[in-house]
Amino acid sequence: MRPGTRSQLTTQELRLQLNREHRSVEVETDETLLSVLRDKLKLYGNRQGCGIGYCGACTVLVDGKPVSSCIMLAVQVEGKQLTTVEGLSKDGKLHPVQQAFLDHTAFQCSYCTPGFILTTKAMLDEDPSPSREEIREYLVGNLCRCGSYYNILEAAEEAAVRMQAKKQVASD
Amino acid sequence: MNVGRAIPYVDALERVDGSIGFTINLEVPGMLHARVLRSPSPHARLLKVDTSRAEHLPGVVAVLTGVDFRPASDMELLYGGMNGDQPVVARDKVRYVGEPIAVIAAETPETAERALSFIDVEYEDLIPVFDPYEADTEDSSLVHDEYDTNVCSYFKLRHGNVEAGFAEADRVFEHRFYSPAAQQFPLEPHVTIASVDASSATLWSSTQAPYPVRESVAKVLKLPEDKVRIIVPPLGGGYGAKNFVKLEPMVAATARKAGRPVRLALSTEEEFVTVTKHPAVVTIKTGVKADGTLTARKVDIHWSGGAYADTTPPVARGGGVTATGPYRVPHAWVDSRAMYTNLPQAGSFRGLAVNQVVWAYESQMDIIADALGMDPLEFRLHNLIDEGEEWVTGERMDDSHYKELIREVADKIGWDKPSRSEGHLKRGKGLSVTLKSTITPSTSRASLKVDATGTLWVLASSVEMGQGVKTVLSQMAADAVGVPLEQVRIVDPDTSVTPYDMTTSSSRSTFSSGGAIRNAADSLKAQLLELASEITEHDPTDIEIVDGFISSKNSPGKGLLIGELLQKSDRDELFAEGTLETQGGLDPETGQGKASDHWHQGAGAAEVEVDTETGRVAILRYHAASYVSRVINPTNVRLQNEGNVVYGLGPALFEEIIFDQGRVVNSNLDSYPIPSLEDVPKHLSSSALERPDAEMPYGVGENTLPSVAPAIANAVFWATGVRIHDLPITPEKVLRALRAKKEQN
Repeated sequence: MRPGTRSQLTTQELRLQLNREHRSVEVETDETLLSVLRDKLKLYGNRQGCGIGYCGACTVLVDGKPVSSCIMLAVQVEGKQLTTVEGLSKDGKLHPVQQAFLDHTAFQCSYCTPGFILTTKAMLDEDPSPSREEIREYLVGNLCRCGSYYNILEAAEEAAVRMQAKKQVASD
Repeated sequence: MNVGRAIPYVDALERVDGSIGFTINLEVPGMLHARVLRSPSPHARLLKVDTSRAEHLPGVVAVLTGVDFRPASDMELLYGGMNGDQPVVARDKVRYVGEPIAVIAAETPETAERALSFIDVEYEDLIPVFDPYEADTEDSSLVHDEYDTNVCSYFKLRHGNVEAGFAEADRVFEHRFYSPAAQQFPLEPHVTIASVDASSATLWSSTQAPYPVRESVAKVLKLPEDKVRIIVPPLGGGYGAKNFVKLEPMVAATARKAGRPVRLALSTEEEFVTVTKHPAVVTIKTGVKADGTLTARKVDIHWSGGAYADTTPPVARGGGVTATGPYRVPHAWVDSRAMYTNLPQAGSFRGLAVNQVVWAYESQMDIIADALGMDPLEFRLHNLIDEGEEWVTGERMDDSHYKELIREVADKIGWDKPSRSEGHLKRGKGLSVTLKSTITPSTSRASLKVDATGTLWVLASSVEMGQGVKTVLSQMAADAVGVPLEQVRIVDPDTSVTPYDMTTSSSRSTFSSGGAIRNAADSLKAQLLELASEITEHDPTDIEIVDGFISSKNSPGKGLLIGELLQKSDRDELFAEGTLETQGGLDPETGQGKASDHWHQGAGAAEVEVDTETGRVAILRYHAASYVSRVINPTNVRLQNEGNVVYGLGPALFEEIIFDQGRVVNSNLDSYPIPSLEDVPKHLSSSALERPDAEMPYGVGENTLPSVAPAIANAVFWATGVRIHDLPITPEKVLRALRAKKEQN
């Protein structure tokens, strides 16, 4: 291919549910989901980290499951439900997992924080009351270089308790 | 009072909703994207750099090479590095694999990337030198031809008569310890955007050092410093990687050539050739009497500094001056030689320089204790300096708390209780203590402003990189002036707005910027009281400021809010400046003098379980303690103290950059793992020691990091009887040592 051109690339209209809203965006077929989120949709809570799917900074939820958006092609999420950190708060109120991370200062530089929050949410949607060991295992694919892991574990436990209590109230 | 309280980060909300504005999110209208052509050779003469084919590609706007820095050009090639030795891009010679040769600015990152392969370069390979000892020989090839030596920096310490000290000893021990290169690995890479015209420049950059960056960019662009503006949004991690000057000169020069703003963000692989931890070999010889009293210590350190100085001189000094440890050593001799080598430049790394020397002296303390049949805790307590003692630099060590710290960690780990081993799972405990200097002399300035809304603005150039400096400085400013925290606003560093600060490094911000803020607050308060006195006709000494409310001490409740006072006096704002300057310095020939304004003190204790069948070391328990003088925010203190331990586990157990003929072999997480939740000890705890009457906080910073590796190695020794001298403590090394020990018996 001649450099400086993108003539060989095809574009495609991508339709998806992004943070509970129908969205349609034109993407190149070789474009990563992370690049579409950051560069096209300006959703900067989705972080560019290692670029090879190891650090978890780019984590988003596809149909509720955490994936590394830096190694997923945007076209793969056609018709799917995508949740990013920007879609977590509702009516100006933080999601309980975000609130727990805030209350426990479960971050330092916070570059990794959206990824941790989304993975924690996915975990609690699967299993509302995980043990500490289960939390460690579930969050092992998200890396925090500042080393705030203890606060993260505490925040995840607290979020589980609060979400359980909320459910309890709702069902009473 | 805000100081001492666990107040949430002032920017906590934007950190959990993801909206915090890192540099990597920024865009400037008309901005081009840069990519860098890097050297494949560790040491070669550049015979030809032909960019003509690349320049003619559609979408390519500018290509920067060494040719752009002809003597008569509008730019200067060499900048900063502590020795002024670093070219913006390589000109006559390349000195490491990964060195920038050309920068391409294009309309899209993809275009810039593809254009790289259209630059034709011819090299004439030269003999490289990678080993710091080899670099220190007369017949070594020279990394910088013009210097006639590969010595980048040489620190000497001479105290007493070291040979007489060895003569007094009953036993003399000599060991060699090695620390390899490691990567700081901030998850946000280095990223810089530059917008440059003929008479001024504005840069947005992920740097820990706005003012040194300004100086270097001004030099390269041949502009006065006040025409260069450096803006620093919060960093997604720094850990030393972003200390000093990195991409900024290259991006600024490219932007000038392109005539448009230019952005460069590094890939993870590029991070590995931009800065590393210093590989270091420490040879340590110690004389000791039969009763365990140290008589002398002689230390030789050889640092591999890589191709350019960067922060190597303060590393050679900071590691050299502390190489005998926080011990009473009557006769000391240190040679700390940092060599230029054909490797990527080594620079600041969380726990700067001290990581490498603590690894040596604290490992050796346990070797000696074992040889003398002494308990490692007792042996240390016997030799640790006390409050007010003279130390190897000749300075008095006031405010020394090493004994308290080591007792604290020993106690928390249950030092007295034996570890229980079962079968092939051997358990043991280990201790370590750390002292670390802070850059001395140094200067920080800060300004405070109150406006007619009653808002207190804090202007300081300490960079927020996750350590919570904005929170801590806001707390200090609120209390020092007497306003509620909600009325305090702190801005990010911007050299056109926030005053001079040396760097955000060396564990210094709480002390230095905090101190400058307090001084500014004294002046601001005096102005407020003066103004209040004019309005109320009370004497200034009868007036106080509490919770943003100015009132007479005799009639509390009756008074004015700060905003009301300004309005009544028809003033828009009041402004005050403060400075904190520390004094000191060392004699270059003897290392005698004052090394540090105050000392950062830490200790750690580990309990490990070694699987003697696999060599795997599991950390069961770790306690870290640091002396902080005064806690400003307990949440932040804990995060830093324990974050240090987690960070330290990497270089202790598995992090090591592997070079093959100068080329980095493992430059991303698939081959260079960093600690995850799986690696974090089940029991991790920390304490921060304070002094009730302490005036100034010392800050936390890196105190608890350097002890991690030796505490673990010492625990491995007490568990298994094998001693690891070379970091990291991998299962392979442990297994090999266990086998060697078995064969010996």
